[in-house]
Amino acid sequence: MEQRDYWLSKLFFDLQNPTLAAEYLDDRDRILDRYPFKPEVRRAILEDDVAFLYPLVNPYLLRFYFFVAGMTDQMFIERLSNLGKIDPPGANRG
Amino acid sequence: MASLTGVFAANHGPLMAREWEAVDEVRRNAVTAAFAEIRRRLSAAGTDVLIVVSPDHWVNFFIDNLPSVCIGVGKTHDGPPEPWLMGFPYREIPGHPDLAMHIVQQALQSDFEPSVSHHLALDHGFCIPLWKIGLDRLPAIVPMIVNGIEPPFPSVRRCYAWGGLLARSIASYPERLNVAILATGGMSHSIGEPTMGRVDEGFDRECIAHLESGDAEALLEFLNRRMTATGNGTEEMRNWVVAHGAAGGRGFEAIYYAPIPEWYVGCGFAAWNVVPANRKTRPG
Repeated sequence: MEQRDYWLSKLFFDLQNPTLAAEYLDDRDRILDRYPFKPEVRRAILEDDVAFLYPLVNPYLLRFYFFVAGMTDQMFIERLSNLGKIDPPGANRG
Repeated sequence: MASLTGVFAANHGPLMAREWEAVDEVRRNAVTAAFAEIRRRLSAAGTDVLIVVSPDHWVNFFIDNLPSVCIGVGKTHDGPPEPWLMGFPYREIPGHPDLAMHIVQQALQSDFEPSVSHHLALDHGFCIPLWKIGLDRLPAIVPMIVNGIEPPFPSVRRCYAWGGLLARSIASYPERLNVAILATGGMSHSIGEPTMGRVDEGFDRECIAHLESGDAEALLEFLNRRMTATGNGTEEMRNWVVAHGAAGGRGFEAIYYAPIPEWYVGCGFAAWNVVPANRKTRPG
């Protein structure tokens, strides 16, 4: 089972609040300062590094985040597709 | 006694609301007709309460606390928080606390351990089907959240057993109520994964064949073997399995199915032909 990055997940979850999302789009650093990210995670967020973030967070939250961040579905799917063959998360058999 | 008067399944893909026009008119009309058919049957059955089975898409729960199954026992529920669903006609959705709590008590007495919420917000998983079905009068809603979003998930066998438990709970509820069940979500889809947008029509049609066959063991085996690899959204087939269990694994009828890659989903609608016992008829 996937091990999630808690604070990355928390940021993406919190950004469902439209007010916070608007603040984030206005000044990413100011919002990111509120979360104790590992440096490499923060860098990946700022660089829109889909490949780095993908294994660290639930895919629905990942998709939501890049939707809020303004990335088109086409570009998001393209970046995901470039990850190559990766086992989908949560490979526990129900 | 209450009566189980109908069991249904319907797609809840968000792009039906956000990108309706992305799909050609033929398939849009077919989807509209499928929702209308469910509306017709729910109305004809005089539905008082609708138990809606859906995942929670990160609205009520987070990885701090992630129940496998949660029953909403509130007098009311909040409407969808998604900004793109502000057109949904109900900001407050009536609940049915007595039936909901009866289900919880029946569950606990039967060695199931649901989580309970006295106040839920119902996201698109609940509200897109309710919106598109378009009943003149919204029945009381008992939400049943089944985690199909973030592993670990409840087993499909347990979901099937949950369906049977719902049916028994309805049958043992002392008030005369017509109760229907609506499972939402599915069929194959993949969101936020490298396979995002892929629809597996072969999986969906095989799944439908298993549901039609009435062989529950074969269905569960098929889903255990194929569901996860078919895409994370496909995990929502657990909701259909709850519905199938409520119907005793019999009477499945596909109302409509089409792969709709424009909406990233294998778009399925179904009914289970149940024979209601003790159905309440309306005077006049």
